[in-house]
Amino acid sequence: MEDLISAIKKVLEQVDVVLGWARSEAAGVAAPAFFHTPAEAEGAIFDSTCVHNLAVHLPRLADKKAGIVAKGCDARSIAQLIAEGIIKRERVTVIGVACPGVIDVKKAWRCFGFGKRVSDSGGQVAMEGKTVKREEILLRKCRGCREAGPVIRDVTVGEVGKAPAAPADPAGIRKRFAAMSFAERRQFWQDQFSRCIRCYACREACPLCFCRDVCTMQAHEPGWSGGATNSSQSWMAQLVRISHMAGRCTGCEECERACPVGIPLMLLLEEQNAVVEELFGYRAGSGTEAKTPFLTFDVNNDSWEQER
Amino acid sequence: MTEPTTRIIGFLCNWCSYAGADMAGMSRMRQPAGVRIIRVPCSGRVDPLLVLRAFQEGADGVLVSGCHPGDCHYGSGNYFARRRLELLKRMLPALGINPERFHYTRVSATEGARWAEVVSAITERVKNANDND
Repeated sequence: MEDLISAIKKVLEQVDVVLGWARSEAAGVAAPAFFHTPAEAEGAIFDSTCVHNLAVHLPRLADKKAGIVAKGCDARSIAQLIAEGIIKRERVTVIGVACPGVIDVKKAWRCFGFGKRVSDSGGQVAMEGKTVKREEILLRKCRGCREAGPVIRDVTVGEVGKAPAAPADPAGIRKRFAAMSFAERRQFWQDQFSRCIRCYACREACPLCFCRDVCTMQAHEPGWSGGATNSSQSWMAQLVRISHMAGRCTGCEECERACPVGIPLMLLLEEQNAVVEELFGYRAGSGTEAKTPFLTFDVNNDSWEQER
Repeated sequence: MTEPTTRIIGFLCNWCSYAGADMAGMSRMRQPAGVRIIRVPCSGRVDPLLVLRAFQEGADGVLVSGCHPGDCHYGSGNYFARRRLELLKRMLPALGINPERFHYTRVSATEGARWAEVVSAITERVKNANDND
């Protein structure tokens, strides 16, 4: 923690604000924090409850010089924001941290009860006497983590270089979904989206959903989805978001984590990311110069329809 | 009792397929009557959401037809469309729609006969698409 605090203090000499985490005493886990002064930076922490993707705040700080503490997955979002020209590389200082994988805080609360202080050491997550193996409550994205450290970083804290070792996903909903017929999947989504309350938390938590003032999910014109909270309109609204994330989603899983009713949005985004990678060999957030595959084309090699 | 019509929404490029379909009609070619045509300025205008909306509103199938590579009136619209529509086609299974219900193809303004063939073949495939697979 000392390394992180001194790194933040050092970066603060050159920037207006550093985005990081501090402990929330009320919730017992990490909460996002804005550090403006070295004194504030004393409270900085990084542990496996630092789940949030802080890159979501960067578009709103585009007129300031900002520092940001970033895990591997967060750095991808920052790289994608830079590649899309939303933020400028020279205005953001990335403090890359070595990430051991973060935990699903909701699962931890289910194990321990809300509001108790969570501590984490040596693969065990503990709280008031109770312990759970960290790998049992890891966030799902960490199980398939391919990040050997943050893709862009100006300062590095800790030893980066390899992705956290984690057991494979215990399948569950993914396995069930894969076995479903087309009709069953339609029914599945209809059931899932009947719970949607149209709070747009998925959009607010997404670092790449930055056009909030004119969001098509919500706009009356051209009226893609209407404003009602019925299953088909909510479904259409989500399809708007998912199609706008094509070739841009870095898979940080913030939408699914933020969803208050637990709709498994990543089933669709993961599928889309896999298709984009298969068709174009492209992963969003791989670099600051990358071009989204849907803004370009390849006359000679784009010929999938000839196979049919 | 007559067989229910297979309803297919066709998004057709104004500069090629729309004229091709017109040609097929004027030449009195036999073709299935279930295609409802929506004329668009370019296949690049077809937002994948338009296709999904058509399915949501109850279409049995959707067909997008534009210009052959190199023939786009605007230079490159059909190349952009091709990437988007391919992604859409591969996403359909996860959305619970049989990808056999969605097709994108190319028909030029002079290919009336080809249009009749394409529509017949696609209507047949949509009719046979089974959602319980």
